[in-house]
Amino acid sequence: MSLAQRVLLTWVFTLVFLIMLVLKLDGKVQWNWFLIFLPVWVFDGILILMLAIKMAGRCKPGYDPRNGSPDLRLRAWYLAAMLLKLGFCLTLCAKLEKLADVKLTFVCIPLWTVLLGALVELGLNIFPERREA
Amino acid sequence: MLFSLRELVQWLGFATFELFLHLLALLVFSMLVALRTDMFTPTLSWWLVFVPLFAADGLSTYFTAIVSIRLYQENEKRLAVLRLLWVLTVLSLKLVCEVLLCQKLAEQEQARDLWFGLIVSPLFILLQLLMIRACRVN
Repeated sequence: MSLAQRVLLTWVFTLVFLIMLVLKLDGKVQWNWFLIFLPVWVFDGILILMLAIKMAGRCKPGYDPRNGSPDLRLRAWYLAAMLLKLGFCLTLCAKLEKLADVKLTFVCIPLWTVLLGALVELGLNIFPERREA
Repeated sequence: MLFSLRELVQWLGFATFELFLHLLALLVFSMLVALRTDMFTPTLSWWLVFVPLFAADGLSTYFTAIVSIRLYQENEKRLAVLRLLWVLTVLSLKLVCEVLLCQKLAEQEQARDLWFGLIVSPLFILLQLLMIRACRVN
């Protein structure tokens, strides 16, 4: 996928989600919170599928791991991050729908894990010389 | 994941350090929101909860000003002005959205006329701008 296609995909799902969120928050629609998060589920589903296919591609016979693609550990982290984000959205929806009486702190733990992981990854990119040490 | 860091930096027009700063602010902000909601601490006002986001915007503006001045001194005048304009536009739209949301949460009774469509409208403008920029970068 080219950059424009990926941006368009992200843009469409973000726009639809924002519109649905605003309608719900302003009380214009009385939909279920799980329905409001539908663009998030679909987008995350597409991303997880793409990641799983790329990871499965490494299992093909004759695959050369030196072809410049990110290593398996990085892909595994991306997959874990996606699942954590999905877990956060699911528990948040359950809390908003009053299906579960969970404290927001516990709901946010997967989100904080993802954010910490992203911060570490960005930090390693800001100081690359320390990565080699 | 979907975008490499290089693509994100190109598309959003922010340096890696600035992205780091905004992510860190988001992390602290989400922790304060959880603290405010779960502990029912009345001393923690919504304006205080939003401080990490405001601080990140301020620091990002400062960083951008310095980078733009350096670029200007190195005779990259066009690049300096374009970068400054883009980052200031994005940050001001983000700041307007944050201030409106904070006002809505802090003064729920007085800000009843402030509907969420209005609060999120800077984000809608930002989305359009990001799409236009993506076409240019591509």
